[in-house]
Amino acid sequence: MDGGFRTGRDVVIGALLGADEFGIATAALVSAGCILMRKCHLNTCPVGIATQDPDLREKFTGLPEHVVNYLFMVAEEARVHMAALGFRSINEMVGRVDRLDTAQAIDHWKARGLDFSALLHRPDVPESIATHFVPDHKQDHGIQHAIDNTIIERCADALQKARPVKFALDIGNQNRTLGTMLSNQVAKRYGEDGLPEDTIELDLRGSAGQSFAAFLSPGISFRLQGDANDYFCKGLSGGKVAIVPPDAATFTPEENTIVGNVGLYGATAGKVFIRGIAGERFCVRNSGAEAVVEGVGDHGCEYMTGGRVIVLGPTGRNFAAGMSGGEAYVLDEKGDFSSLCNTEMVALESVKSQEDRDSLHRLLSEHLSNTGSANAERVLSNWDAMLPKFVKIMPHDYKRALAENAKLPLSTDVSLDDFSR
Amino acid sequence: MGKPTGFIDFARVPLPKRAVPERVRDWQEFLLDWDPQEARHQAGRCMNCAVPMCHSYTGCPLGNIIPDWNDFVYQDRWDKALISLHSTNNFPEFTGRICPAPCEAACIVGRPRHYTDHVEADDPVTIEYIEKSIADRGWQEGWIEPEPPLVRTGKSVAVVGSGPAGMAAAQQLNRTGHWVTVYERSEYIGGLLRLGIPDFKLEKGVVQRRVDQMEAEGVKFEANTDVGKDFDANDLLDRYDAVCLTGGSTQARDLPVPGRELDGVHFAMEYLTQQNRVNSGYEVDSGIRINAKGKRVVILGGGDTGADCLGTAHRQGAEEVYQFEIMPEPPADRAGDNPWPQWPLVLRSSSAHEEGGVRDYNIVTTNLTGSNGTVKKLHGSSVSWGNGQPESVPGTEFEMDADLVLLAMGFLHPEHGGMLEQLDLDLDQRGNVLVDDEMRTSVAKVFSAGDMSRGQSLVVWAIAEGRDVARCIDQYLMGVTSLRPVLRRPVRPQQAGHVWK
Repeated sequence: MDGGFRTGRDVVIGALLGADEFGIATAALVSAGCILMRKCHLNTCPVGIATQDPDLREKFTGLPEHVVNYLFMVAEEARVHMAALGFRSINEMVGRVDRLDTAQAIDHWKARGLDFSALLHRPDVPESIATHFVPDHKQDHGIQHAIDNTIIERCADALQKARPVKFALDIGNQNRTLGTMLSNQVAKRYGEDGLPEDTIELDLRGSAGQSFAAFLSPGISFRLQGDANDYFCKGLSGGKVAIVPPDAATFTPEENTIVGNVGLYGATAGKVFIRGIAGERFCVRNSGAEAVVEGVGDHGCEYMTGGRVIVLGPTGRNFAAGMSGGEAYVLDEKGDFSSLCNTEMVALESVKSQEDRDSLHRLLSEHLSNTGSANAERVLSNWDAMLPKFVKIMPHDYKRALAENAKLPLSTDVSLDDFSR
Repeated sequence: MGKPTGFIDFARVPLPKRAVPERVRDWQEFLLDWDPQEARHQAGRCMNCAVPMCHSYTGCPLGNIIPDWNDFVYQDRWDKALISLHSTNNFPEFTGRICPAPCEAACIVGRPRHYTDHVEADDPVTIEYIEKSIADRGWQEGWIEPEPPLVRTGKSVAVVGSGPAGMAAAQQLNRTGHWVTVYERSEYIGGLLRLGIPDFKLEKGVVQRRVDQMEAEGVKFEANTDVGKDFDANDLLDRYDAVCLTGGSTQARDLPVPGRELDGVHFAMEYLTQQNRVNSGYEVDSGIRINAKGKRVVILGGGDTGADCLGTAHRQGAEEVYQFEIMPEPPADRAGDNPWPQWPLVLRSSSAHEEGGVRDYNIVTTNLTGSNGTVKKLHGSSVSWGNGQPESVPGTEFEMDADLVLLAMGFLHPEHGGMLEQLDLDLDQRGNVLVDDEMRTSVAKVFSAGDMSRGQSLVVWAIAEGRDVARCIDQYLMGVTSLRPVLRRPVRPQQAGHVWK
């Protein structure tokens, strides 16, 4: 239980209402020096807590002991209240709503007409059924049954000797976060850089469960024939993913949604090619991955800070909301994109520089080779005619930062501090 | 908060002052103006705190909405800043000049940071000078105009005493629609603002234009009228629906030592008011003229009134000026038992101290001697504060030449004779007029505010109390009121214990 917890009394009331665990955030911050300035989002925290500014961080006067001391006092106060109530432990106290004097707390004109009986209900259960957390009852996530265990076994050569491994596998939507445990093995052995490209190649068939290919490490390439649920490629960390409709599918891929919402959430590196349309919030908070898709729902590229996204088709509304970095290209054949884009932080440009044209062409060629997209083939074969139909979405601040960086001497190592203001 | 990083990017820059050799030759104000860009930078230093201390707890007694008008100044919207400022303060041009600025002492930019081994602090926002700049700009631009009420209630109120509390109460009551008559026993309206505070801190035109504004709004001023002497104070009860007493704390603390009766020993207020009258063109008979020219002046009392005497003596051409205080010298920085955002009990130097004079502490005057009935010498000694009482330290006795001795040792309470006696009002244990939470005295339909009921205090408290007593009187007369209570309700000594309303 949490929300405005400050005192030992709060903890005791929480326990009587049925809580086993308690969250204290603001009050602990205050004990370390927070003065509730509500400037956490501006990098100007004058007590040096919520800021990266080195000068402001100098102003931080907090010590771990302050928080420790505060929490001891919360515990001490809770103990006093427990003693008054006659409880020896938190476990004894959990859920004892019968010991709660509620009259005063809910005797308020705003509370008239509200029925608290469900909230203050104490289930009538025999003693053999625990009404508080019992440590022996460990949570079982069934992780030993995850398909990744099989994959890790079959990838032994790749993991141990960095030798290429390739095989096919049927999957279903019960297989969540497929590839994440495998990525963990790669990362443990080879670190952030992972394995050489395409060391592990998996040909997957079926309907992928949630968070397909989450945190996929470099050197792992998934090709999925089928479709994927929400959160696919979440936190993608350098792996490569291609998602295509099954060969037997009778629908037109570029007109149909084959992956769910919130793809590539917080991805940092890697490549994703989707022959089909993605759901909403595609590439939200992406900071470095490259993706090609044939259409997206609402809020595409929301809060994106880096990377590159190509949309070879229609977008929903509110595209690029809060997008502060990276770049996006949208094939705007209908000519209505400008009305769908949120231009608060971005500018719409045509694709002018040779550099941009080259990277667009390169990514589309990779998309074609990885997915066999008819759309990509149509664009590439009519390159000169299609190029003017692309809109480049460029965040204002990103553009300014790139221009400033270009002026810096090449040898300069740019540190984070340079961006902290 | 116009500029989020303003407090990092800009340093505190106070208003420039006229050079000392220049300003001690005349009586004009010592403060100059910023250029407009500097004003914006200074306002941009405000952090727009989520919990602004500058106008809550120990900050501005008026509850001036400081972050709002700082933001407007940064945006160059001086007109909006003025509206915001006037919404809580009737006379910002007074407080912008002569307030000790509790807001700045509470400002979070200036909040001390306690590290394990030392304490650091940044400079607070120049709130008071921004306030002055906004108010001065308003007058320059002609934005400050009479605001007469649209509707009259038909009720009438007498305000006795035209100092800042009386003026604030009168303006608030009149704007609410009541007919207000202000009685003042001196020939000038404005109380201590007009006759007590020297011109170099507050030029009298600044007061007069407010008086003119209030007259144009419909307030009636009766100067040269001493209620209780010229007519019985009880007459007011018959003639008005409510009476508001804002006569100030005018009974000065005396120095009961041998030689007090000598010529050349004066209360500070005799001295300061006379000079203010002279500056206004009043011909003072040379027999009663108190002039420090060529004299050795000793000021007894280390407070603001003493500092005003100091600046006045220098401008009159005093030979030497000494300012003695019986209390110990305050520390330069906050003591451990005086944490932020409490009002810091530290050594303060006013503009007058920059102009010369010698300050000394822990000094008690034991007697005064003279010849031909005129003071010539002051005899005193150092004191120690062993058990909370001053005790002369043996062997530290001294005597010094003194041609003019000014007593600036504070004020005790209002004068009890005359008006207060006739109305038969209850007094509190300090001798001030006793009022309740709604600022009512012990006599029906008589209210009191300002120094008269709270004891000697600041102009900003006087304005705050004046505004609040207007609300209480409006509530009393009409049964309802649209006037807002000031943010920090006045707290009186006898109410200590249940502080926050």
